[in-house]
Amino acid sequence: MKKVQLKELAYARSGDKGDVCNVGIMAKTRNVYEFLVRTITPEKIKAYYEGMVKGDVEIYPLPNIDSLQIVLRQSLGGGATCTLRFDQTGKSMGPVLLGMVVEADEALIDEAANASAAIEKR
Amino acid sequence: MKQVNIGSGSAYWGDMLEPAVEMAERGNVQYIGFDHLAELTMALLNRMKLKNPEMGYIPDIIPWMKKLLPVTVPRGIKMVTDAGGANPLQAAREVKKVIKDLNLGPMKIGVVSGDDVLPYLDDIRRQGFKFTNLDTGEEDIDRIKENIVAANAYTGADEIIAELKNGADMIITGRVSDNALYVGPLMYEFGWEYTDAYVNQIAAAVTIGHIIECAECVTGGMSNMWKASERPWEIGFPIVEVFENGDAIVTKTPDSGGIVNTWTVKEHLLYEVIDPHNYLMPDGIADFSAIKLEDVGFNRVKVSNFSGKKRPDTLKLCIGYKDGYIGEGMVLLPAPDALEKAKFCDKWLRERFKILGVEFEELRIDYIGVNTLYGEAGEIEDKDYNEVGIRVAGKARTRQEAETVRREATHLWTMGPIGSSFGTPMKVRPVIKLWPTLVPREAVRTESELMEVK
Repeated sequence: MKKVQLKELAYARSGDKGDVCNVGIMAKTRNVYEFLVRTITPEKIKAYYEGMVKGDVEIYPLPNIDSLQIVLRQSLGGGATCTLRFDQTGKSMGPVLLGMVVEADEALIDEAANASAAIEKR
Repeated sequence: MKQVNIGSGSAYWGDMLEPAVEMAERGNVQYIGFDHLAELTMALLNRMKLKNPEMGYIPDIIPWMKKLLPVTVPRGIKMVTDAGGANPLQAAREVKKVIKDLNLGPMKIGVVSGDDVLPYLDDIRRQGFKFTNLDTGEEDIDRIKENIVAANAYTGADEIIAELKNGADMIITGRVSDNALYVGPLMYEFGWEYTDAYVNQIAAAVTIGHIIECAECVTGGMSNMWKASERPWEIGFPIVEVFENGDAIVTKTPDSGGIVNTWTVKEHLLYEVIDPHNYLMPDGIADFSAIKLEDVGFNRVKVSNFSGKKRPDTLKLCIGYKDGYIGEGMVLLPAPDALEKAKFCDKWLRERFKILGVEFEELRIDYIGVNTLYGEAGEIEDKDYNEVGIRVAGKARTRQEAETVRREATHLWTMGPIGSSFGTPMKVRPVIKLWPTLVPREAVRTESELMEVK
């Protein structure tokens, strides 16, 4: 087992709906998806965004696209039109989550690294 | 099998015009949808209309139509735009002038309005309906009633379809849902109706609309694929080839920059969605949990296996109300001791606000380059930064109090640590807070008409 940041295993894109921020996490491989379903919990997410997420965290798994939809309630300072956050619409919340450290098998980390090389090359 | 090609020409007010023109020129599309509205935009447009009853639409529609109509009219491309904002009828009158000036008629403009619920909010309440806040659970709008400045329902595609059936060559709407700009043409072309028989087809249309409605955001804009995107400075806007059974191919304008692959479609499928099993739109509810994505060629992704449920009985209603003011300030600090200088500014500002006795509802100070985006999730590393910025933002009841944030931050420029650098002071801005709620579908008085241009 090795400590690794989520960015090595997945991509993320986030946005807003009022004071709710959503973070779509896209696993780089099917095995990574299954690992993330087992590993990522609402409690861990809320603890990671310490102080930023005031409401509940929900996770919706989407096995058809190897992705997780993470919903962060009361996380954008009231929403884009009244927030004091510089990032009014939560665009940075996804990439910020990719800094989370998890422990994964080295084989899985290698698999994800190979996948990203293929995905990001045209 | 019948095929309809529909593209997206704008994601927000201020989006880039050239990719929309290029799509019209060489995208081989029958329809282009244009979204210019956001929650705050509606509040701004309503205010503009209050000041001048001939305003309240997106003013960009005039220069845009001057560039677009000469390309779309000869090709028979129908544009569906929500640039009508708070005043679709006036927007249509302005576009009519453009059509006449450019001698592009005869044309028929379908004008869709009636999303503005503000004039009859009280009527609906008198019928016993409560506007419960979906975010906070607060039961009704009594507390904010005096400060309400806008109340717009996110209406569906009904009136767009009606005007296309009436022979409209283009459609100008108010606050329909962004999604309906795409669902409308697809339902019209394929003859899909709001009955149980078509729930999956409408779910396909809702999903397709969702995938392309933010234009560049599915073709390599704000993407994890940003390094793989080709000529991102000439990004192409998305086009969907939709088939009668609902299956679709997502692509973009030929010979344009950007990228479309299963990853860009995935990231947009999830974007700004809460429950992906129940993506609620006024025209239908889409379930994304069975959708299949396949790369079927260079910049081509097939999307299939759509499913959904019938449209909800309520519409989303967004009420905007005045809620104080925000003042902001910024200073950039150089090494040596950049982080220490930032901490000094932080303390200096807080001491000043204490002396002045300003009562903020909320005050926030960020160290730019250190914790502005990471907040508590990151650790403040005590290292030798070349530069650190400080940003202060405060929310207050009065404009005067919010003004102190701006003023004290500018004082820091001359009273702060050596090297304090500054740009231009930022203006205090009024806050329009949003109250998301629901309204019974039948209570919203949507309407449409056909404006003929000879």
